[in-house]
Amino acid sequence: MARNATAQEALFALREQIARLEGKPLPALAAAQRTDIAAGKQALHPAQASLRHGFGIPPLDAAMDGGLPLDGVTEIRTRLMGDAGAASGFVLALVARLRGMVSSGLRFLWIGEVVSMQEAGRPYANGLVQFGLSPKDILYATPRKLEDALWIAETAMGSAALGATILEVRGNHKNFGLTESRRLSLRAKAAGRPLLILRHAGEEEASSAVFRFLAEPAPACARRLADGSMLGGSIGHPVFRLTLEKSRSPAPLSVHLEWNSRDRQFSLIRETGDAVSSGQPTTRGGNRIPASDDGQDRAPALGSLLAFERAS
Amino acid sequence: MRLTALDEASERLGLKRGQGLAEVRAMFPELDLRDEDEAADRALLEAIADWCDRYTPLVAVDGGDGLFLDITGCAHLFGGEEALLKDLLGRLLQMGFDARGAISSFPGLSWAACRFGKGGVIADDRQSEVLGPLPVAALRIPDTMVPALQKLGLKRIGDLLVLPRAQLARRFGAQLLLRLDQATGANEEAISPRRPVASLSVERRLAEPIQDEEQILQLTGQIAGSLKSGLEARGVGGRLFELVLFRVDGRVFRLLAGTSQPLRDPRRISLLFSERLTAVQDDLDAGYGFELLRLNVLQQERFKDGQEDFAGRRQDDVLLADFIDRVSARFGRDCLLTASLQQSHVPERAEIFAPAIASQVKGHDTGPDLSFRPVTQRPLRLFRYPEPMEAFAATVPDGPPQRFRWRKLVHEVVRAEGPERISSEWWFDEPEGDERDYFRLESEMGRRFWVFRKGRYNGAKSAPLWRVHGIFA
Repeated sequence: MARNATAQEALFALREQIARLEGKPLPALAAAQRTDIAAGKQALHPAQASLRHGFGIPPLDAAMDGGLPLDGVTEIRTRLMGDAGAASGFVLALVARLRGMVSSGLRFLWIGEVVSMQEAGRPYANGLVQFGLSPKDILYATPRKLEDALWIAETAMGSAALGATILEVRGNHKNFGLTESRRLSLRAKAAGRPLLILRHAGEEEASSAVFRFLAEPAPACARRLADGSMLGGSIGHPVFRLTLEKSRSPAPLSVHLEWNSRDRQFSLIRETGDAVSSGQPTTRGGNRIPASDDGQDRAPALGSLLAFERAS
Repeated sequence: MRLTALDEASERLGLKRGQGLAEVRAMFPELDLRDEDEAADRALLEAIADWCDRYTPLVAVDGGDGLFLDITGCAHLFGGEEALLKDLLGRLLQMGFDARGAISSFPGLSWAACRFGKGGVIADDRQSEVLGPLPVAALRIPDTMVPALQKLGLKRIGDLLVLPRAQLARRFGAQLLLRLDQATGANEEAISPRRPVASLSVERRLAEPIQDEEQILQLTGQIAGSLKSGLEARGVGGRLFELVLFRVDGRVFRLLAGTSQPLRDPRRISLLFSERLTAVQDDLDAGYGFELLRLNVLQQERFKDGQEDFAGRRQDDVLLADFIDRVSARFGRDCLLTASLQQSHVPERAEIFAPAIASQVKGHDTGPDLSFRPVTQRPLRLFRYPEPMEAFAATVPDGPPQRFRWRKLVHEVVRAEGPERISSEWWFDEPEGDERDYFRLESEMGRRFWVFRKGRYNGAKSAPLWRVHGIFA
């Protein structure tokens, strides 16, 4: 009997291991809790038990088995350094969504090499506020060498003290290959925290990332007016063109996502060629733009919001 | 040029300090003469002073060739004053220094006995009999005063002690009396230590020197454990720790590690130094090993004893503080930064970065609420220095460009918003009126830029400057 039980135990452990390797949800919640205890951590927040964070976009979520993995590596790359704005925007939008979800006030870590900080600029506090983040949420690490950046990333993943880690690199480094990627991925899995790799001007490369996006800029939608019409010639919410290059689904998926920083929501838009007609006159004089209905200045919701973070 | 220092062999030849160089060369042509290097001498003395830290934390440098050690309350640790002096001089002799020392109740007396007398330990009841026969030069008085005293027949300190004080003061000034009082102990003299005194300090002496990094860390953890009770008794935790490693041959290494929260946990203290040791690996030469480890608490702060709440928030805070401390210990405190908003409308002044280790780690603290928040869009990433660009076909006088070149690429502007005029802060800057007109531009590829024009289109006289200041998502 006892031998039978140990065999069962071994079988469960193996199943669990396979599920982990495949990146699938664990067979049972009990099993998940057991592994958490074994890993020496407290049980995670119930909201984190799913370990996937959906975008709220059905086709994208379906292609990504439920959304962004919260215990794995996701890579976002651009073809050119000039597309840094779109890629950073997408990454920070993901962080803003994670921030809304992780209720315990965890901070996020942005590891940027000195070179990429010079090339693409530093994240700007006022811009972050308008993007749906608070400047206090983010810690910036600026190591001089890639090895140092990797060390910081690994330590951050190992300590599980941070809500998410963003590792910004430029190009494909010899010292950041499959081995290093695998190592980071295992750390992420053990800690249950996401790692986002933001690779500027990078090539496709074999890595241990669960998903890889190619981020490209796309023309923004026009500002929405209060009566539902669009204000021609204005630059509204940012739009990113995302191509899911690496995933379990065979066909590459390409979508245009619009980020609404007020609602912290992505929305899918169709090809934006017709949304903007370049023949329209460009707007001059910022003061003459009418108030938009979903901008900074719209009327706040009635009533006051109390203790939003601990609402769960 | 004159002789400033002599070794034993040249002393035996009868040479003296202050002798002319030409004279010495003529007398002993084979003598090896070197230029004096004051900086190197000073560095050597500092190094010996560092080494003397093993006896007492209060070490002061005295002139170019002496040290004061305040051993109050330390002597018993080394088996008494005699044993301490013997140990100290013996070790210095092993290192190749010919040193002399004296222990007495007053620095002035020790100085005199050490340089002009026999040295050794001077008991309180023997003070006057030691001081009396010493020459007046032993009083640390200006060189010009010594011949003046000698001319009057006052050759020994004992001669001065019997004279009426008022007449001495009238003739030689207050300086002489002050020095005399300091030598007899009538005037308390304080020595000024070289280093700030640690609020808490623990050390471990080793019979067998250690070289291994692991052993150092293990011992650090152990002595940090004995530090814990001291910190607890005071209700504080350390914010800045110093690990002092005394190498067998007398070299002393000091490693500093700061923390973001008051810290007591021995394991975390030892982890911090593990990062520090990795960072300074090249500079830390273990040589024949370290024989003494000391852990100092240089800065302390009230330790907030707290209970974990149900969500385990405190645990998260501790983990985060631990992470910040480790990264800062390894790469320096400027490696890990936090940004905070400032009350300014000038874009680059609206945020400042501070080391994460210095800013208190708190979960939800969002800082003071700023009354000024820009209502227009601000870029997601801002360049540290606005980068020059070339604008083509800009609408005169205050419109956006149709096309611009930045980083060698030409961008076709499809849409533009602006201008937003931002003036300089006249209450800080010169009122030169450099206003910037900011535009949001979207290129045909969908890239969005934040550019500004500085200056105005003013005929042929001056062309305005165009700069790219940031990029939008």
